[in-house]
Amino acid sequence: MATAESTALIDVGILFGAVALAGLVANRINQSVIPFYILVGMLLGDYVLGSIDFPALLGTELVPHGAELALADTDFVHVSAEIGIVLLLFFLGLEFNLDRLIASKERIGKAGAVDLAINFGVGLLLGYALFGSFLAAFLTAGIVYISSSAIITKSLIDLGWIANDESDAMLGTLVFEDLFIAVYLAVATALVLGGGAVGEALGQIGVAVGFILVLLLLVYLGTEWFQRSLETDSHEFVVLRALGITVLISGIALSIGVSEAVAAFFVGMAFSATEHVHDLENLLEPLRDAFAAIFFFWIGLSTDPSLFLGVAGLIAVAAVATTPTKLLSGYLGGRIYDLSERRSVRVGLGMTTRGEFSLIIASLALSGAGTALPEPIAEDVYAFAVGYVLVMSVVGTTLMQYSSAIESVVVPRLEAGIGSTSPSSDD
Amino acid sequence: MTIYESDLPGVGKKFEVELEDGERLVIVTHNTGKREVYLKANPDADGDKLFEVSDRLARKIGTILEGAYFQPVQAEAVETMLSDDTYLEWYNVAESAEIAGQTLEEADIRDRTGVSVIAIQRGDDLISPPTPETVLQVGDTLVVIGEREECAEFETLLGDEV
Repeated sequence: MATAESTALIDVGILFGAVALAGLVANRINQSVIPFYILVGMLLGDYVLGSIDFPALLGTELVPHGAELALADTDFVHVSAEIGIVLLLFFLGLEFNLDRLIASKERIGKAGAVDLAINFGVGLLLGYALFGSFLAAFLTAGIVYISSSAIITKSLIDLGWIANDESDAMLGTLVFEDLFIAVYLAVATALVLGGGAVGEALGQIGVAVGFILVLLLLVYLGTEWFQRSLETDSHEFVVLRALGITVLISGIALSIGVSEAVAAFFVGMAFSATEHVHDLENLLEPLRDAFAAIFFFWIGLSTDPSLFLGVAGLIAVAAVATTPTKLLSGYLGGRIYDLSERRSVRVGLGMTTRGEFSLIIASLALSGAGTALPEPIAEDVYAFAVGYVLVMSVVGTTLMQYSSAIESVVVPRLEAGIGSTSPSSDD
Repeated sequence: MTIYESDLPGVGKKFEVELEDGERLVIVTHNTGKREVYLKANPDADGDKLFEVSDRLARKIGTILEGAYFQPVQAEAVETMLSDDTYLEWYNVAESAEIAGQTLEEADIRDRTGVSVIAIQRGDDLISPPTPETVLQVGDTLVVIGEREECAEFETLLGDEV
């Protein structure tokens, strides 16, 4: 169905229908929707559905070949996925409040620094051991470092933890991670698009830093303009203008080799200083979620599950190595927030989930295939990241759901002073 | 009573209200406007979710709790506000009322209080408009129109202490 123009609408319909169904299933079994969106994308793509030869299988020519049914990675899907990335980061910027960060900078800074040092550090070592190159290690470090704001926030609300003290530590650490990831993406994009050569990469980083400085200037001096840009009573106009500004600036950024996600983050920050924050959140949230769903679907679509076989070992090693590191950094973060042993353990359990940002880094890795990264390594990093996110999103949500059972085992030991150095040894 | 306020980045705001016996009421205001209300048995306990409501409903409930949403209604006088300070009210003529048995002309209500009697309900009959010769009887319900202070003045004529 990939080629004929008349079927484009059917393809998009199948895409949305499949994603909706995946969301329904995930909800029924109390799991995060993200891995299900990815899986359904994988199933409907060229690699799975496309490789099934129905006529041979069923012995009749009346059934079409799987290749004719599979959804292709069309421009629509690709651009929608990119809009998904842009909107995800736009929201980060929109909800990112500098005053808020400064107000509790000490605790957020300490807990965030511990989180960064442990997880990014282990990620670098792990990435270098697995892939043997600096850029691949740098990308791996980002993939295993960044927890999923989307999944964790939703789980906090679903489990009712949002009313408890642990939510402060978790959300505070997420804010630190989000800020770091904005800077990280700027550097990583420059490295990847710079083609791997040091000179070019430095040039790219220069362009990126320059562009970010321009955006920062726009954020600080342009509040008035951003405020006026959305002065209208019409919801339609608010949505159109916000998209017009955000997507255009992100597109310009990408065209000169700066991360579109970072640009969107700064545009979001600029709007966060206006009075329209609430409207934008209400009006754009469904749009963000719809495009983000396509992004996850697209990630699945571009993933060849057979590549998992090659990286299954790497995924297992990474999962085993980085679940305890998040448990530890989360626990220490909880202690920095003066939480009890029990709540600190919970922070650790909650922070293990990785998700959307790891996938953004994965798609970045893929775009550097053949230039910054040798193609096999880029594909390995990509497949590794997708598999890793699938595993960690399920592990993380499950750990949160069974936290009371885990707490009852771990907390008494912690309180007795045994294993006071690491909560991970008890898992 | 102490109220703790904290930000929930990406979610909204959280308020913790200290109740008696160390209990705490936790109100999470989502960016979407949704409110979730939890009760904690003590500051260290996990929150038990009581209910969640939409922004609109939360505001209604809030004004009721504040005591501002419903005006207490007096059984004797039903008041309806016509404009900022003009009321349409119903009054019963009790035996203690000094105007009982007088005609409207004798009672001279308009000059003495400022209110106008626009109708009199007597049993199943409605006298509207009443004439100066209409005699006010015990048990009548007078429908009057006037400003708040004038209505209060009129109540004293009826022998009701305000």
